[in-house]
Amino acid sequence: MLLNPSILALIGVSAVVNGLLLLAAFFAVRVLRHWDIRSGSELQLRLERGTYLIATLVAFAFLAELVSLLLFVYNAEAMASQFVGAMCATGVLNVNPWGWPTLFLKIAVFFAGALWLLLNRLDNQGYDYPLTRLKYALLLALVPLVLVEGLAQLRYFVGLDPDVITSCCGSLFSADAKGVAAEVSALAPSTALLALYGSGVALFLAGGHFLWRRRGAAWLAATAAIAFPAALAGLISCVALYVYEHPHHHCPFCILKGGHGFIGYWLYIPLFAGTAYGLAVGALSPWGRVPSLTKAAAADTRHAAALALIGFGIFYGVATWAMVRSNLTMAGTWW
Amino acid sequence: MIRLNEVSKVFNQGQPNEFCAVDRVSLEIWANQVTVLRGPSGSGKTTLLSMIGCLSRPSSGRILLHGRNLSGLPERFLTGIRRETFGFTFQRFNLIQGLSVLDNVMLPAYPLAPDHGALVAKARTLLAQFGIGTKAASPVEWLSGGEAQRVAICRALINDPEVLIADEPTANLDSHLTREFMALVAGLKAAGRTLILTSHDPEVFEAQGVDRVVTLRDGTIQEA
Repeated sequence: MLLNPSILALIGVSAVVNGLLLLAAFFAVRVLRHWDIRSGSELQLRLERGTYLIATLVAFAFLAELVSLLLFVYNAEAMASQFVGAMCATGVLNVNPWGWPTLFLKIAVFFAGALWLLLNRLDNQGYDYPLTRLKYALLLALVPLVLVEGLAQLRYFVGLDPDVITSCCGSLFSADAKGVAAEVSALAPSTALLALYGSGVALFLAGGHFLWRRRGAAWLAATAAIAFPAALAGLISCVALYVYEHPHHHCPFCILKGGHGFIGYWLYIPLFAGTAYGLAVGALSPWGRVPSLTKAAAADTRHAAALALIGFGIFYGVATWAMVRSNLTMAGTWW
Repeated sequence: MIRLNEVSKVFNQGQPNEFCAVDRVSLEIWANQVTVLRGPSGSGKTTLLSMIGCLSRPSSGRILLHGRNLSGLPERFLTGIRRETFGFTFQRFNLIQGLSVLDNVMLPAYPLAPDHGALVAKARTLLAQFGIGTKAASPVEWLSGGEAQRVAICRALINDPEVLIADEPTANLDSHLTREFMALVAGLKAAGRTLILTSHDPEVFEAQGVDRVVTLRDGTIQEA
């Protein structure tokens, strides 16, 4: 195991988050078993008071999880120099079999946590606890995911062996290799760009329609769900190549390096945030039918839709700027 | 308007000195009426009043205002309800020493950040209405008991609440001032407000204009 401040922080955060979520899970079971808003019993009043404390603790836990995804990627990138064969985070994640599952689990926790936080924010604006049972039922479903993510991360960090010779991004994100990464890398740039901008246009149409007409929340959420993988595919297949000014380097992590102006952070942070807000519009919108949430749901979904468009707007802007200003010229080869 | 369903308040719950101040009280308080909670010291009047006014929370039971549950609401909702629905006057008036009469009256409106000129005008109108307009600039330390109480009432009314809650309002007043206070109460009722008072003073609960007297003893309702 390699120890550095980032790894210790990630393990520490994970331990605290898991502890808080287990405490919250215990409370969630009590809520699901005993919650009865019509009752004025002592237990019900205690649950009503407790729900705000627990929801606040869970909100902090999920916020810490959101930040820990960023730190995990940053740390993987920063440790590249400590492993033979690693040139970026890809190599570090390849050091043992737990690297990639941990990253994917962290991404899943990011989106699930973000949606839970926004649902919690909406519920807290209703005076009659409209989504409390749902919120805690969802929490119970999320706790195993966070626990598994914490365990996977621990296994990954414990299994980091500096003597392992790992494979670099060039071998994983190569059109000649096998696996999902290779297939995405092998995607024709014209197809990838068409999907990237096509899904973007659909997203902005859906977002504009939602903000203007207050309708089409599901459409906006669906386009965000499609635009996210399309954006990642476009990034790997085409945009990254323009950033590196190299027609065969598809790595989605090397763009996080200082040598490329940390442009990856300008792409990933708005993309992930925009996707989370876009999905949230679909998740929050149906609760506008609850009388105590009508105003709050309208305001929150409008806010989330605007933030989703801003996030995707920054992503598309930075991606386009990266391609336009690049010295790589593929006219006549790719198009 | 206000409904209490099986409301209890227990202090030091689960400890050897546990004390049940209010025990499963059910009560309905109607709008635009004067309701007096009477009973001996320790009967639970003030505890009940503070729960109705959202100053404290019940240990069990529900308090509903216009059918909306108040007992489990978090503080951010209660603050708004307290500010918009209830005005309070206290036994010792609780005016802020060192501030003028006008400043004391305007104080509860500051969190709402209204136009200052309009607020001053409203406070002066209220003071004039209660016959103490000339005292606006005076420090509250200079006021007599009756004047201090009028200032306290003006302060309670500055946010134009539906309900005025007064805890032992005449405890520090002589008979003449008590009758004056009850005349003010009748005026407020005529203006459409709901009043809830606690008192063990017969001049209060036997006064004309009192619609309902609820007798409390040992935390329970004896008569309503």
